[in-house]
Amino acid sequence: MNSVSPWQLAVVFGRISSTAFGGGQIPAIRREVVRRNAWLSEAEFLELLGIAQIAPGPNPVNMAVLIGGRLAGPFGAVVALVACTLPGFLILLAIAAVALDPRMTFLRAGLRGCAAAAVGLTLANAIEMTLPYRTRLVELAFVLASAAAVIALRLSLELTLLILVPLSIALVRRKPA
Amino acid sequence: MTLGRLALVFAVLSLLGFGGGSAIIPQMHADVVDRFRWITSAEFARFYALGRLAPGPTTTMAALVGWRVAGFAGAALAALAIFVPAALVVHALGRVWQRLHGHPWRDRFARGIAPVVLGLVWASVATIGRGALDGAPTVAIALAATILMLRTQINQSLLILGAGVLGALILR
Repeated sequence: MNSVSPWQLAVVFGRISSTAFGGGQIPAIRREVVRRNAWLSEAEFLELLGIAQIAPGPNPVNMAVLIGGRLAGPFGAVVALVACTLPGFLILLAIAAVALDPRMTFLRAGLRGCAAAAVGLTLANAIEMTLPYRTRLVELAFVLASAAAVIALRLSLELTLLILVPLSIALVRRKPA
Repeated sequence: MTLGRLALVFAVLSLLGFGGGSAIIPQMHADVVDRFRWITSAEFARFYALGRLAPGPTTTMAALVGWRVAGFAGAALAALAIFVPAALVVHALGRVWQRLHGHPWRDRFARGIAPVVLGLVWASVATIGRGALDGAPTVAIALAATILMLRTQINQSLLILGAGVLGALILR
């Protein structure tokens, strides 16, 4: 299985991360790693996705680190991490350098429009993610509690997680739909 | 001193970033806007929008905060701080995973943390909304974006760009 070179990892993750405007990176990674190159089986991919989802950090970045580590050791993990984050970092700085330039006054109104739309995208995410819980009162109570802890009580993220996660683990018993 | 603070703030957020990106947004706002006053709430909302527009994780927006604080060095440091600590955790977890395989605690942890993270996503809507919504036109754009996201398969980056064009035309 260790037949993948760090260079190949850099090419694959660099290409995915520099073109994934608008999300959809996990399906793109699966296509490259499972379908196109057959570096991992479907089951191995899902196993790594399970780890990526419970660890802190964005899932696509976590997948890059896990796949890089699995296929080419710690150095592979580092290469995949860089390939997966550096293009987005540079593209973001380039966009920001233009969009946030104070001389570009005509862009200010445009940016306000972008920011308003980003609120809508996040609201849509929140609604979509909440729908599977619509009949589950215990889970909904924890959704409400953590939102209220941060917004109304202004509790820090550390405290919110520290208090609510153990309670939630203790009380949420049923499997998700 | 400021660079050290910058690194510390984002490294802590990195380790707390369960469930991907949006969950740490309210705490990032509390740190960089309310506590250290590196940027304003409106700037934060703009940085967030650019973070969603660009490819890669939204949390890359940490680099823009770093940029404001200390130029390119700040941007690079903030990006390292937001990605590397979580990457170390997931790498370590990948190594011990075989031993945890099939352990019932794994699923219980995942099931338990999911609704808490979701509450934080709702909180981030309020956080970003505070900086981005300042009247009927911006609220209308936000609601239109919500409906388009829920009802169509439109690409997020295109949607944000479209809203930018609309904003340039009507938000004067």
